[in-house]
Amino acid sequence: MKQPFDAAAALPGPTPSDQILLDFLQQQVLDGLWWQDMQTPAHEWVNERFWHTLGYTADEAPATWRATLHPDDQQKIRLHEEACLRDPACTYDHTARYLHHNGSVVWLRCQGLLLRDATGAPTRLIGTLRNVTPEKQAGAYAQEVATHYGLILSNQSVYIIKTDVQGNYTYVNDFFYERFGRDNAIIGTSSLLSIYEDDRPKCLAVVMQCFAEPEVPHQVILRKPYLDNTIKSNHWEFKGIRNAQGEVVEILCVGYDITLLVENLEKSQHLLDVTSQQNIRLQNFAYIISHNIRSHSANLTSLVQLLAEAEDQEQQEMFLQMLQTSTGKLAETIVNLSDIVAVNSNVSKPKETRQLKAEIDKTLEALSVLIHQHRITLDVQVSPEVVVTVVPAYLDSILLNLISNAVKYRSPDRPTVIRLRTYSEPGFTVLEVQDNGLGIDLVKNQAKLFGMYKTFHDNEDARGVGLFITKNQIEAMQGSITVESEVGAGSTFKVSFYENA
Amino acid sequence: MKTPKLAYVVEDNPITSSITKLIIKKKLHCGRVQTYANGQRAFDQLTAVLQAGTDEVPDLILLDLNMPLMDGWEFLDAFARLPITQKVCVFILTSSIHPDDIEKARRYKQVQGYFSKPLEDDNLARMQELFQTNCG
Repeated sequence: MKQPFDAAAALPGPTPSDQILLDFLQQQVLDGLWWQDMQTPAHEWVNERFWHTLGYTADEAPATWRATLHPDDQQKIRLHEEACLRDPACTYDHTARYLHHNGSVVWLRCQGLLLRDATGAPTRLIGTLRNVTPEKQAGAYAQEVATHYGLILSNQSVYIIKTDVQGNYTYVNDFFYERFGRDNAIIGTSSLLSIYEDDRPKCLAVVMQCFAEPEVPHQVILRKPYLDNTIKSNHWEFKGIRNAQGEVVEILCVGYDITLLVENLEKSQHLLDVTSQQNIRLQNFAYIISHNIRSHSANLTSLVQLLAEAEDQEQQEMFLQMLQTSTGKLAETIVNLSDIVAVNSNVSKPKETRQLKAEIDKTLEALSVLIHQHRITLDVQVSPEVVVTVVPAYLDSILLNLISNAVKYRSPDRPTVIRLRTYSEPGFTVLEVQDNGLGIDLVKNQAKLFGMYKTFHDNEDARGVGLFITKNQIEAMQGSITVESEVGAGSTFKVSFYENA
Repeated sequence: MKTPKLAYVVEDNPITSSITKLIIKKKLHCGRVQTYANGQRAFDQLTAVLQAGTDEVPDLILLDLNMPLMDGWEFLDAFARLPITQKVCVFILTSSIHPDDIEKARRYKQVQGYFSKPLEDDNLARMQELFQTNCG
């Protein structure tokens, strides 16, 4: 049984009277108080404080406090009161809206004490009121804020996920489901395994940082397979969340799709690479030009001086002869250079379709004297249907260069066989020119093979421009050329012609 | 003043080769000058000389860079492995003014100088001086 609290007994000394206590509660603690007679409900008493709370003076006050109840809440209050009258176990307690004298809404919580007579019939209801408007408004504001941010988040393409310390999903937002096509079954599965394999170590490293440095965002870009099996790049911010004890208990991850950004970055990088390569090529080209012209001009300078200092007629004639040869070589060099400049500067020469077989036959016809003279066997396995899109003049030059090289660098030890065949690769038509000639030591010469003025055999005719021009022409048509070769066995040149799909 | 007794001119352009031979005979007072059309030929000759054990090792080599079969760099690599006891002055003589070539030449300790053609008086004076200080 509960011991009745007797303040006078517990605290010796002066004790406030009941009236003083009641006044204190009425005036200082509560925002209103009323009594109602349950036998004659019209009999009610409302304190001044209540009217003050609703902005009324005692003179302006309506006949009953019920008149100030918000119309939408009257029904609710009535039902609650009826329930309490019927059932003694019911606690009279409700929060409802009241209308302030100025028309605004005031939220009041009313806790009532229902007195009953000996038969259990209700006699009096005492209502105590407290103004809870600020709490209600704060709640409403919080709700509004939550809805506001909820709306923002649900309208953004942002992934929000949480994982436990083992890295298993504990929460993922709708957008994540939508994008990665997984249903609720994802909860409890490993987030790490859902990441593109190569990126897993990177992901783990960032998770480790979250433990080392919690509550601070750690950023990472990870790739993940999308619903349609494409790989998407996402930028993530991971944060280790601590519990009250300061231990990291979960990882919060917020991410968004940056696939387009990454792709564009890769495109720019590719463009940069191409430009850098072109730049290097141009710079090398400038040095090559300078080298080749200088080597002849140096001879001319020296020869002129030697001629001036010549001791006799015989020497003079010899120097003149050498001068003549040198000027001839210089003229030839300049012709070669202008060929190369033409290829390098004319990237957008019009392309036309050509039957490859017909072009090969034309080249072989042009080389027929050489081919016949050296008893060369040709094995052309190119179907007449094969069509390539090329700058026609370049194709002529490429075929002539490759086939005449195969003739020129034939082996003296065996009958020469030159094989031509074609096949398809995605986006390209490939022509292979295979010979059984001298071959080239690629270990030593790979870097120089397509360079300018590089010759690999002790051949007086070699100009060292053929393959350089060939490569430039092929690249100007967005194609490529590669070679396989073995000294003493022969070479296979592989030309890929770019074909618009 | 010490003058080169035997010089190799390693150069693929026959006209340049003849001119160089004439000039160094006249201006550097070289005793004998032998010309080789590429690094391989010069290297083969050097190897043969070393095997024969004669006194035919050159004291000056003028080396071009761009040559077929064995270029100047390859010659330098092969040359470094030869068991030569005599002092041999190697000068690069090339038309190249490519900074990469000049830089690369610096890294070969056998190379005493880098000269771009033509072989004019100032070049010859520098050659003379380098030959005296380093190979004399």
